[in-house]
Amino acid sequence: MGLRARLGGSNLRIQRKEGLEIPMATAISLARLHRGYGSGRGRVDVLQDFGMSVDEGSIYGLLGPSGCGKTTLLKVVLGRLVPESGEIAVLGTRPGEAGSPVPGSAVGYSPQEIALYEDLSITETLLFHGRLHGMERDMIVDRQAWLIGFLDLPGGDWQVGKLSGGQKRRVSLAVALLHEPQLLLLDEPTVGVDPELRARIWVHLREIADSGTTVILTTHYIDEAGQADRVGLMRGGKLLAEDAPKALMEPHGHASLEQTFLMLCRRGGGGASE
Amino acid sequence: MNVERVRAIGARKFASLRRDKRMFGFIVLVPAIQIILFGIAIGQTPHDLDFGFIDESDGSLDGLEVGLRASDALIVHDYDSVEQARAAIEEGEVWGALALTSDARLEIHLDNSNQQVTNTILVEVRNAMEAALAEKGASLPMEIADPVFGERDPSFLDFLAPGIITLVCFMFSVILTSIAFVGERYDGTLDRVFAAGTRPSEVLLGHMGAFSTILIGQVLVVVGISVYGFDIPVNGNPILLFLLALVLGWAAMCLGLLVSSKARSEFQAMQVNMPILFSVLLLSGILWPVEALPGWIQPVSYALPTTWAAEAFRSIMIRGWGLESTGVLTAFAFNAAFALVMLGIAIRTLRVRE
Repeated sequence: MGLRARLGGSNLRIQRKEGLEIPMATAISLARLHRGYGSGRGRVDVLQDFGMSVDEGSIYGLLGPSGCGKTTLLKVVLGRLVPESGEIAVLGTRPGEAGSPVPGSAVGYSPQEIALYEDLSITETLLFHGRLHGMERDMIVDRQAWLIGFLDLPGGDWQVGKLSGGQKRRVSLAVALLHEPQLLLLDEPTVGVDPELRARIWVHLREIADSGTTVILTTHYIDEAGQADRVGLMRGGKLLAEDAPKALMEPHGHASLEQTFLMLCRRGGGGASE
Repeated sequence: MNVERVRAIGARKFASLRRDKRMFGFIVLVPAIQIILFGIAIGQTPHDLDFGFIDESDGSLDGLEVGLRASDALIVHDYDSVEQARAAIEEGEVWGALALTSDARLEIHLDNSNQQVTNTILVEVRNAMEAALAEKGASLPMEIADPVFGERDPSFLDFLAPGIITLVCFMFSVILTSIAFVGERYDGTLDRVFAAGTRPSEVLLGHMGAFSTILIGQVLVVVGISVYGFDIPVNGNPILLFLLALVLGWAAMCLGLLVSSKARSEFQAMQVNMPILFSVLLLSGILWPVEALPGWIQPVSYALPTTWAAEAFRSIMIRGWGLESTGVLTAFAFNAAFALVMLGIAIRTLRVRE
């Protein structure tokens, strides 16, 4: 928790009570963002006129089919992909520019691909990433022990390549959580994870969000997105709608996010709002 | 530049390399096997060559026949006439024949299909003749004085060994590093390393660190075998050979890392390696002197770090030169500069922001 205090996120404790509006600081804001790949005939536009905003200390769920640009969006936030146009502010800076804490230890990233070195053991994997973040050995060992227990991983000596798909995904999540970053970007963190453990992960995400961490996660599971503070419905590189899950459902008289999403899709995609 | 990150990446890469123990042994041993095979197969003098002999003389050159029969290189068969010997050459029974004519001249008939064999025969005949003349207190009107550098009868291996050290050190370093992180760039692991704030220079230096531990082992083995295992003269300082091989290995490593930063797949990286290694083999004066290349292609030769290294290895081994020689010094400087330039380009190629 020390790291977060140092980064100054913990002074923003937000009480989430029904009907009580407390202005929150914005962790991420994107506006009129464009990003694609290639040029000429091979050109693919992925993010088109994309805008979103994520409050500090909140959980933001990005919902959308595969290929809608969720991963590209996360990479833009991470500073790995540079937007072709538009405005972007992550933790108050443009990611990847001099002086920005992103990319860096302020952010924890768990990519959609498992993206782990298969020949390392679980402890070697965590040690490697801990060292990249300049963590002290004692600190790494403490966090390792806690994460292995919390995420129900087999012993730390297990080689990553020999783990099941779900176990690998949990190691991937452990890497993102390891250094207690201020901002968590989780690309489908719960695919193939046991429901009981998934619930436990959500409890933890809620805890760290309450203590100031901002979480963005993508998911295919619509019911899972319902647990987020805010949900963005994404399709074809655009944000169809963005609001609290209840607010998204109620005005349309829908009982589920699924119905809202379907309605928004039928309405024809572009620029839908309340 | 964050040293702890460089070390973390180096340690991680080394752990991966070491994990597969058999592969690790293979990586260090293959250069050794390669150089031993080269030493056994290439550059030795041919031996047990079938050779004809016709004596029509008055016996004044008997010493020559004794000399020929004593040679390991030749197996001497007797023929009655030149016609008979030429027929035997045509049948492929002998590589050539020497006739001592009735008017005391030497006549050599040859199957010139293999230059190395012909050269060996000519050297043997010359040696036998010189010995025969010396016995009579006479000599040829030409004398080859003791050489300034090298041995009296230099073998092709003496020329080739420095080139082979160059080739082996360069080749293994390029092959090992050119696929170092092609996979990582596409499977998301490098995204993750970059997400932690790691810079491309840190990734590349970390890999260099891990591969350098292997390089040192390979170079020790290769230079050690060449110096102590082969029957070739080493007149210079073996430590200098080792250091030059190391710098050459780094030049190759940085080139390999550049390939790794640029290639779209491991398959593509291996395809790029082929022309690189082939050019190095043919244009660096490893198999054949650079001086024999057409003038227009020589600039390419002198742009290759291996050309300078091979020549310097030769100078150190045969001429016994050290760092006071401009050629040797240039080889060190050129290889180090080549490594830095390649590393610089690789750092620019491997981008955090795309």
